[in-house]
Amino acid sequence: MSKYYLFQDQKKCIGCMACVAACKSRQNLPRGPFPSLVVTVGPRLVSNLPRTAYTFMPCFHCENPWCVAACPTGAMQPRTEDGVVTVNPDLCVGCKTCISACPWGAPQWNPETGKAVKCDYCYDRVEAGLKPACVTVCPTECLYFGTPDEIPEVRRERYARARAQEL
Amino acid sequence: MDSQTCSVKALHDRLGQMLNDGVLTHPRCRQRATEIFDLVHDVSQGRGGHGHMDSILDLAQILADEGFTPVCRDLGEHVTSFVGQHREEFLSHIRTHTCPTGRCPMLTPAPCQMACPAGIDIPSYVTLVGQGKYEEAISIIRRDNPFPWICGLVCTHPCEFMCVRGRMDKPISIMDLKGFAAERAMSARSYKNPEPFPANGRKVCVIGAGPGGLTAAYYLALRGYGVTVIESLPVAGGMMMVGIPRYRLPREVIDREVAMIEALGVEIRLNTRLGRDVTIDSLRSEGFEAFLLAIGAHGSYKLMLPGEDDFKGVIPAVSFLRKVSLGDHRRPGSRVAVVGGGNVAIDAARTCLRLGCDEVSILYRRSHDQMPAHHEEVVEAEEEGVRFSFLTIPKQIRGEDGRVTGIVCVRAELSQPDESGRRRPVPVEGSEHVIGVDVIIPAIGQEVQNKGLEPLEEVGWTRRNTIRVNTVTMQTDQEGVFAVGDAVTGPATVVEAIAGGKKAAYAIHRHFEGIAQPTLPRVPVRRGRLEHFDVPASLKTDLDRPMMDRLSNERRRITFQQVHLGLSEHQAHEESKRCLRCDICIRCGKCVEICRDKMGIEALQLGYMDFDNPGPTDLRITAERCIACGACATNCPTGAMEMNERDGYRELCLCGTVLNRLQLEYCEACGAVLGPARYHDFIFKRLQDISPASNGRRLCLECARHQSGGQHAEINPPPR
Repeated sequence: MSKYYLFQDQKKCIGCMACVAACKSRQNLPRGPFPSLVVTVGPRLVSNLPRTAYTFMPCFHCENPWCVAACPTGAMQPRTEDGVVTVNPDLCVGCKTCISACPWGAPQWNPETGKAVKCDYCYDRVEAGLKPACVTVCPTECLYFGTPDEIPEVRRERYARARAQEL
Repeated sequence: MDSQTCSVKALHDRLGQMLNDGVLTHPRCRQRATEIFDLVHDVSQGRGGHGHMDSILDLAQILADEGFTPVCRDLGEHVTSFVGQHREEFLSHIRTHTCPTGRCPMLTPAPCQMACPAGIDIPSYVTLVGQGKYEEAISIIRRDNPFPWICGLVCTHPCEFMCVRGRMDKPISIMDLKGFAAERAMSARSYKNPEPFPANGRKVCVIGAGPGGLTAAYYLALRGYGVTVIESLPVAGGMMMVGIPRYRLPREVIDREVAMIEALGVEIRLNTRLGRDVTIDSLRSEGFEAFLLAIGAHGSYKLMLPGEDDFKGVIPAVSFLRKVSLGDHRRPGSRVAVVGGGNVAIDAARTCLRLGCDEVSILYRRSHDQMPAHHEEVVEAEEEGVRFSFLTIPKQIRGEDGRVTGIVCVRAELSQPDESGRRRPVPVEGSEHVIGVDVIIPAIGQEVQNKGLEPLEEVGWTRRNTIRVNTVTMQTDQEGVFAVGDAVTGPATVVEAIAGGKKAAYAIHRHFEGIAQPTLPRVPVRRGRLEHFDVPASLKTDLDRPMMDRLSNERRRITFQQVHLGLSEHQAHEESKRCLRCDICIRCGKCVEICRDKMGIEALQLGYMDFDNPGPTDLRITAERCIACGACATNCPTGAMEMNERDGYRELCLCGTVLNRLQLEYCEACGAVLGPARYHDFIFKRLQDISPASNGRRLCLECARHQSGGQHAEINPPPR
């Protein structure tokens, strides 16, 4: 597991896809691949009102990643310093096994280079003291990035507030 | 291919490196550099047009003038000077779609095309023959060689020595396919001349109607020049007509192809010898502004033996073959000795047999393996009954009453290889013997007869008594005078003469137009990149080089009928299926390397790709092991290896050879293509340690993401 955590407060997300666009543009990607994606769920009727949820789906940077196990060339590796799973384009030969192995669809196919691409938590930005591109551009500030202990407990607070109002 | 550098590729890589490294900090400068890079990329991919060079230079100039940063200015100046320096190479890439160094993968020519002196686009016409498009095949061949039929019968086919298929089993019958296409096109009356340029009113005189002269005449006539060919013999065709015997090359073939050239308006004046019937001055006064000397090498070397000039019955091979070709079919004698080991010796010997000589033997001073003659022809001569006497050195010619009665010879042994690695024949003492013959035909070499050329004082000659030329342009030392063929090379092949004729035509045109002559040797032109056709791997492997039908030996020994009877249509089509299409696959070996070293699958066994150490090749093994991951196809620099999905199967093809075909599986949710079961098994095996059970449903990327997105969605938030 990477030492970082990227948390999305779905309550605040308006599905503007700014994060998705920023991610693609930072990696200079052509049509096709989305290393991070906002998945639209719904609309469904909740208390007779149509509700849509937006789930931000980057890579989870698993503890024991299937993509890493599936990769025959050793291109897909977690970084030793922070556990962020990255793909080394010099080693990747484009066999797509990582893409097929991942249950979440995190590794994506770049048809221009013929190699896999994925969310790397913009580790170069993070190392430079910045936030990942998606977090930086989010207009509603629904994305939080940091170590797990830095993540705000919005959900817990919100729940507590709601319970308090009920009382 | 070799270690030469390609300047297009060098500039391409340098620009790519600079753009990647981010040294071009100014955005507009980066934009300009990207535009230049894209243009250079086009050139290196064979997509360059006439405007590319100018655009590159303009952009480089702007880059230098704007000079936003010193790096930009330097880059602009570098590109300007670099492209200026290597202008010829850039233009050659654009014009010929060929990168002879093989550095630009898409422009790497096939080895057969590189080996062809005339530079014919062999893979393209082989493919067209396989598709039954003989007319198109002929028009592709004639862009580089106006004699496809002749060359389809008598070419020395150096292409077949380089054929990559030869490293797998046997080379493609490139020559026979050409002959077949020409025969069919001629027979169907679809063998046509291209549309020539309108006449430009300028006149060129070609001296000698052999393959070199007529080739130049053809390409000059197409360019709109008025061409007149002077020929001293009563027939056109030169050595093709009077050197090559009819059983190898029927007269009709030459007549028909020469007629095609005459149909372009080329005038051939037969029985006109330079120095006897016309002179250079008389030709100049007729308005000829340029001359092409293509006089051939019709003189024979003498044996330099005692008795050679004293007796009747010593007939030099060249004169003998000429006499027979011109219709004198009287037999020269009953027992013939031909001296020499080249193709001319074999031709003379086989001709003697056909004229009814009782016994014909070839005396050669070295051994069988060292004969310069074509192996196939030696075999055919042996079949017909020509006797070979190797390691035999003639010493003296004996005669009585003015006629030859025998030739005194000594036997020889081969020495140990000397510094040059050659084994020389050393006479064995006391081995003198007499071979009783009444005709001796020396065939030990030919020389150029320079009679009639004396007025061309400035034309220089080499020590070998051939005309000295610049081999890139075929220009002699005298302005406006060019030379080609055996007169330049010494006795050589038809296709080399054709190559020279084409070069000369090109240079003569430039001479008239006042364009600077090229300094680099001509590069073969890729005439297109034709679609390959699908052939299953097993068929590709199993097909064998066809055995051509031949005339029965009984008939061969008594008539001048053509020995090689040509391929059948079925044979020709099957043969073209064997072609590995080396114009597309450049045998870089990347696919094999990735499959073996990176993926660890070893499904590709293509040993023929290694030029120096060819290994075993098995096209069928792929279907047993390949998981259809597609990494080989993704990394193929030329698109030779392709992975396609059709009709529920995923197919891996190498230039049309179907190496593997696996049934596809589909996403259980949306029906999108997932890949074949063997591919999933491969991944599943690798995941076994961390996920013992498969997760059950087979979903595509999109559906997996949406499903897990749904699972994580807080669609039912707690009420406020």
